Amino acid sequence: MPIVELHNIRKVYDTKVAVEGLSLSIEPGRMFGLLGPNGSGKTSSIRMMIGMTMPDSGSVSLFDQPFSRSALHRVGYLPEERGLYKKMKVLDQLIFLGRLHGLSEQTARTRALAWCERIEITEAIGKKTEELSKGMQQKIQFIAALLHDPELIIMDEPMSGLDPVNAALLQQTLIDLRREGKAVLFSTHRMDQVEKMCDSIALISRGKLLLSGSMREVKGGYPRNRLQVAFTGSDSFIHHPAVAEARVHDGVADITLHDASAAQQILADALSHGTVITRFEVLEPTIEEIFIETVGGQRDA
Amino acid sequence: MHSTSLQNIWLVARREYLERVRAKSFLIMTILIPVLMGSLVLGTALINRSLGSASHLAIMTDDAQFAANLQTEMTSSDGSKPKLDVYSPSVPGVRAQLDAQLKAKGGTLDGYLVVTPSSPAEPRGAYEWVPKSKADVITKARIEDGIRGALTRERLAGSGMGAAEVTALLAPIHLKTDSSGGGSGTAFGSAYGMFFLMYFVILFYGMNVARSIIEEKTSRVFEVLLATMKSSDMLAGKVIGVGAVGLTQVGIWMLLALAAVEFGTKMIGSNIHILPSPGQGALFVVFFLLGYLLYSSIAAALGAMTNSEQELQQMQIFLMLPLISCTVVIFNVVTNPDGIIAKVFSFIPFTTPLIMYTRVIVGKPGALAVGGSIVEMAVTIAIVLWFASRIYRVGILMYGKKPNLPEILRWLRYS
Repeated sequence: MPIVELHNIRKVYDTKVAVEGLSLSIEPGRMFGLLGPNGSGKTSSIRMMIGMTMPDSGSVSLFDQPFSRSALHRVGYLPEERGLYKKMKVLDQLIFLGRLHGLSEQTARTRALAWCERIEITEAIGKKTEELSKGMQQKIQFIAALLHDPELIIMDEPMSGLDPVNAALLQQTLIDLRREGKAVLFSTHRMDQVEKMCDSIALISRGKLLLSGSMREVKGGYPRNRLQVAFTGSDSFIHHPAVAEARVHDGVADITLHDASAAQQILADALSHGTVITRFEVLEPTIEEIFIETVGGQRDA
Repeated sequence: MHSTSLQNIWLVARREYLERVRAKSFLIMTILIPVLMGSLVLGTALINRSLGSASHLAIMTDDAQFAANLQTEMTSSDGSKPKLDVYSPSVPGVRAQLDAQLKAKGGTLDGYLVVTPSSPAEPRGAYEWVPKSKADVITKARIEDGIRGALTRERLAGSGMGAAEVTALLAPIHLKTDSSGGGSGTAFGSAYGMFFLMYFVILFYGMNVARSIIEEKTSRVFEVLLATMKSSDMLAGKVIGVGAVGLTQVGIWMLLALAAVEFGTKMIGSNIHILPSPGQGALFVVFFLLGYLLYSSIAAALGAMTNSEQELQQMQIFLMLPLISCTVVIFNVVTNPDGIIAKVFSFIPFTTPLIMYTRVIVGKPGALAVGGSIVEMAVTIAIVLWFASRIYRVGILMYGKKPNLPEILRWLRYS
């Protein structure tokens, strides 16, 4: 049962096409990365998922049902830009937002305090938002999105403005939530986070889906044509006809092949020339490389 | 309406209300406005008393009878006579001496009158008034009246009438005013007071709605709220919450005023009629709510269109123009509450709360007219609210440049 399903949605603002023919679905217990350059339609797509705007055509399903506002109590949303009342006290704010999501005042209070404990921000409880640092506000916003124990968690750029320690803390929290069976969708520019956390990704650019699927599927669509070889002795193997490009520094060769199947030939070639290999690795393409190649390729087109 | 909708409206209204009532500015305003209004009334009364209350004058004449008559004529309504020094113009240097007295610091002389005896060219004589303050037009008018009275007294006495008869004939007439709500003067004061209070609360709380929208827009709170509730619920909650704050404040002021009258009555021992009657008080609340709803709907649309307080301030004029037009006609309405201007303005929905309410205090517009204006306002509010909520729904998610008119018209059609 998919938690979210977008089917062929399209949204046009005045003259600009924000999203065109986008389809995707997210399963429970999955971490889904929504990637794309600035202005590619990520936020527009997210807004349609939670009924902030309606698609001009196409359909949105939440929890296997056609979209209805009553399903929104099961969704947690963290917007790209921080949205908190500046002059309101943190706890009051969390209780208010929790109650809007259908919690009782008492439950909201208990959970807010527990969450503050969990992500180490208890010192902020009695303060006003405007007295907090940007990173602390971000953590409060993070709690606000999770207070009502949503089954679908949507986070637009959740790690922006956080130091590495806090980013790791929230990252781990998201991973724990996924383990509990929640579906997590987040959009980001940080490809290293995607690489570490996501099970599936969708890459959109100019409102269109360029590629989507599980990490394995996406990476499988790209040739494993890069080698990293640590060696001592002769570097003659980098002149093998299958090598398209090679760079050597500090006894490590970074090699790009014309043909991914030639990797073993390179190894054999090196050994036959008496080169001592201490490490030989066939690298899979990183999401960053795929991103740049796909989006860049589209730009050329 | 769906029950979660009602729940959300209630939560938003409650938050708006509590955050505002708890703020220090609410307390300050609640105290400051009555203090300002009170000192304004008191100050005006003091200025009115000091103006034209010249109590020390000098006259240059050889006609002692004329001087005495003038002093009698200038007797104030409370029975006090001005001090009148008489100098003979034949004494050399007397004018210079009087001028010096006028200029002297701490001098009590308020001005002097130079009388030139009647001549064939000027059968009534010539009079020159030299005041200490040229702005004191009220004393000048009193002296003019005094001279005319003194001359009449002289002629009447000259034609053989007895002094007692002359005094009886020239005694001031007391014009009685019939008004059920106290003296007419206090009704005027109360009408102006209530007019400006209404003007202030409608504008202030209308603008508060716009400011609150801008705050949520710039802090992006909308994005969080919209992920769980409809924009129309947000707007409804906000308008109700801010309006409730306004009602609370007006309620506190009314209680304060009641307490002040109670206290004043005990202190002075006589009834003070500055308050509107309970019926007028209830209508104040009705017209405040109607005016607030109308103006806060417009303010909500303005707030949703703009991105900052500065931009809002430029748009504020649209909100203020109808209110300002009320201040232009208010004098006419108070003096002629059932005239054509009063009637027209009390049925223009944007000026109804101010003008119709003023008519309720000083005139007798009739239940049908008051009821009609209320129905008319309700219809206008429904129409304005329809447009405002559509502009609001789209506008709160639009950042960046201010929309132009064609863009706003397109917003109305968005689903």
